[in-house]
Amino acid sequence: MKEYNIVITGVGGQGILTAANILGWAALRAGYKVRVGEIHGMSQRFGSVIAYVRFGEEVYGAMVPEGKADVILSFEPVEALRYINYLKKGGLVFTNARPIPPVQVSMGIARYPSLEEIKRIVEEDFGGRFLAFDAEKLAIEAGHVVTTNVVLIGALTQTPGFPLSEDHVRDVIKLNVPPKAVEINMRAFDLGVKTCERTCLLFNFPWVFDCP
Amino acid sequence: MVKVTDIVLWDKPGERVLLLGNQAIVRGALEGNIAVFAAYPGTPSSEVTDTMAAVAKRAGVYMEYSTNEKVAFETALSASWAGLRAMTAMKHVGLNVAMDSFMTVSYMGVNGGFIVMVADDPSMWSSQNEQDTRAIGKFANIPVLEPSSVQEAKDIVKYGFEISEKYGQMVILRTTTRSSHMRGDVVLGELPEEIKQGKRKFGEFKKNPERYVDIPAFQRKKHLWLLETIEKYRKEFESSPFNWIEGDGKVGIIAPGLSYAYVKEALAWLGMENIRILKLGTPFPVPYALLEKFFDGLEKVLIVEELEPVVEEQVKLWAYDNDVRIPIHGKDLVPRVYEMTTRRAVEAIAKFLGVSTPIKFEEIDEKYKKVQEIVPPRPPSLCPACPHRNTFFAIRKAAGPKAIYPSDIGCYTLGVLPPLKTVDTTIAMGGSIGIAHGLSIALNGALSEEQRKTGKEKKVIVATIGDSTFFHTGLPALANAIYNRSNVLIVVMDNLVTAMTGDQPNPGTGETPHGEGRRILIEEVAAAMGADFVAVVDPYDIKATYETIKKALEVEGVSVVVSRRACALYRIGQLRREGKQWPIYQVNEEKCTGCKVCINAYGCPAIYWDAEKKKARVDPLMCWGCGGCAQVCPFGAFEKVREGEL
Ligand code: SF4
Ligand code: SF4
Repeated sequence: MKEYNIVITGVGGQGILTAANILGWAALRAGYKVRVGEIHGMSQRFGSVIAYVRFGEEVYGAMVPEGKADVILSFEPVEALRYINYLKKGGLVFTNARPIPPVQVSMGIARYPSLEEIKRIVEEDFGGRFLAFDAEKLAIEAGHVVTTNVVLIGALTQTPGFPLSEDHVRDVIKLNVPPKAVEINMRAFDLGVKTCERTCLLFNFPWVFDCP
Repeated sequence: MVKVTDIVLWDKPGERVLLLGNQAIVRGALEGNIAVFAAYPGTPSSEVTDTMAAVAKRAGVYMEYSTNEKVAFETALSASWAGLRAMTAMKHVGLNVAMDSFMTVSYMGVNGGFIVMVADDPSMWSSQNEQDTRAIGKFANIPVLEPSSVQEAKDIVKYGFEISEKYGQMVILRTTTRSSHMRGDVVLGELPEEIKQGKRKFGEFKKNPERYVDIPAFQRKKHLWLLETIEKYRKEFESSPFNWIEGDGKVGIIAPGLSYAYVKEALAWLGMENIRILKLGTPFPVPYALLEKFFDGLEKVLIVEELEPVVEEQVKLWAYDNDVRIPIHGKDLVPRVYEMTTRRAVEAIAKFLGVSTPIKFEEIDEKYKKVQEIVPPRPPSLCPACPHRNTFFAIRKAAGPKAIYPSDIGCYTLGVLPPLKTVDTTIAMGGSIGIAHGLSIALNGALSEEQRKTGKEKKVIVATIGDSTFFHTGLPALANAIYNRSNVLIVVMDNLVTAMTGDQPNPGTGETPHGEGRRILIEEVAAAMGADFVAVVDPYDIKATYETIKKALEVEGVSVVVSRRACALYRIGQLRREGKQWPIYQVNEEKCTGCKVCINAYGCPAIYWDAEKKKARVDPLMCWGCGGCAQVCPFGAFEKVREGEL
């Protein structure tokens, strides 16, 4: 594999940088050259956040170039649209379905687009594939909402063409979390893995995604 | 994945690990046997400081969070003067604070290797401007090192110590947001015995007034030394392992720092071969001998660099002086603002070579522009339960929308956004008090002036400043305001931590990386300086905060109100680690009238609007239980429920 590009987006505080770090380590353990790009500072304060994970035989810059992302992994639906310019033709937008409306929306100065609208833009305007599921619900089912990022990562490992093995990623997560949280995180990971099927049923988009 | 602090201290030479640029810099400093590190945190340099703080004790390094960059610079410098290897780290605007000492010390030189690490922020991800520190290196005649990868970020530190000692001059290590906050694979090197054993190193100071006293008679001679020294560095850099020429062909590209990575990627994407590259790890001074070798036989050259044409100007000057008459491109093809990207490198190189780009970026841009029209903005906001929100809310209620609100650099700058809108100016750390005082003089006159009393209606001015910022540069400004009989209210928003850069301690916290420090109370300082009114409030009690501010506003002179409550993000982090819970608030739908006060005037991000039911609601996953909403809701609709009951 020459190079694989992941853009991770979401809202500050959702564990995006942790997710990027986990995927980066998993790629390192798989023997690839790795670059992870992130922005700190204001990033935790519920603003829009983006991180990049790139790996392959040779990678240089930390940012995924526009039009080159294999996957946009989005922790919040509208954030996928905000960075849709990174998606390559045929790339996958994989998103948590639960919206976090910005204050501007509550105040009535901005509108929040629907999931269907987002899906249409991804597919029609950018030639991508779109998939959404409620990762947060699964995280709560696993034991704690903070594991949402692990649910998403678990699901990501099942996407077609994803080059890292489930076990590499699982091992890294195990090492990354405090011992008492390992169980919850593994449960979250497995729920994410299994969700592949469920997602297809839930959203009734069997054409988007080959269920294993 | 082991803890980063362990990796940074790992005695495993040859091990391949994933490190953040800033963490790699710390590892490099340890491999280079650093003894003293002092800094004030500032994004994007903060993780250098935090990582060092986490390992300092075990590595026998003295580490301090200084109150500002100038003090940090002086602390680390003294260690170098005492013969120890030392380093300070700051963001680009931090160097402006240290500038006074920095410019003069350039004439005096150093003893132990001394690195001034400066992190620039092209595109201003979390900064007020995007100055290019390489230009300051050139201005001050101090050599600048710049890594092109995380591996180099580590290795270049050790190199920096060595050449700093060799010529007795400090060096700047310049990074950018991208190189500081990029994770990449790094191969660990050897750690020195002293670091492994955690043995604290001590130096010795040999008096030498001719060198260490900056009276004109001494300094006149030393200015010459400075100029001679920078030429020695220029020679040295001819054979620096961080500079090289690669590839061959009739066209050449010069790529300093991280731009090298973008150029390599762009060339691969464009499928271009037969290009000669000059990779520069030393953007100032550019080694002339390397230029000579590089230019030999070339027909045209492009310089791909971020921000200012620092290398371009040096190269063009050299070309003119040496009668090199081929086209040299730079800022005519590469933008001078914002950060370098692969796309920018691709576009510049494509134009330079007269080829087309591999994908049509304009097409993506066009579609993207349309999409952005329907994407709602999501700027960062004050966290749920942030004490600053309550303080701002109380201030605005007490002082009204006509009052003028100078503020400062920190989380609380976010008070500029609706609905709070309690920030009218910010310029730089500590600037709020200076601006407030200046406005007070300009609009109302000084208290000591007779005519003020006859004047028109008094303008109310309320400055806000954070605890860390107060100690950083607020202190001299406060002394100035009190001394000159200003008429302002200064609210110090003390959240007991330097929150925006990642929860570092400060004098108001009292903690240090080596254990307990002595805590300094802001209210005591203000009282000792002679403030006319001093009070401490808890912003979680909005009504009491409001009443105290009302009282303070009636006082003529300088009033200082300390609004003290721990940073919510910090507190929640602690509770989570301890496995503890916090209360969660919910909207009682019966009581909620849909007045939207909680959204339109208060704006906690955990509160959202249910458009169908026309009621406010709380996202239980975001509520951090401060109870602020219950205090601002006129109808008592917010009620406390316990976590787990949902
Ligand atoms: S980090 Fe702390 S101080 Fe900053 S917005 Fe959040 S709660 Fe407020
Ligand atoms: S919803 Fe209410 S209690 Fe919860 S964080 Fe916001 S203001 Fe505080």
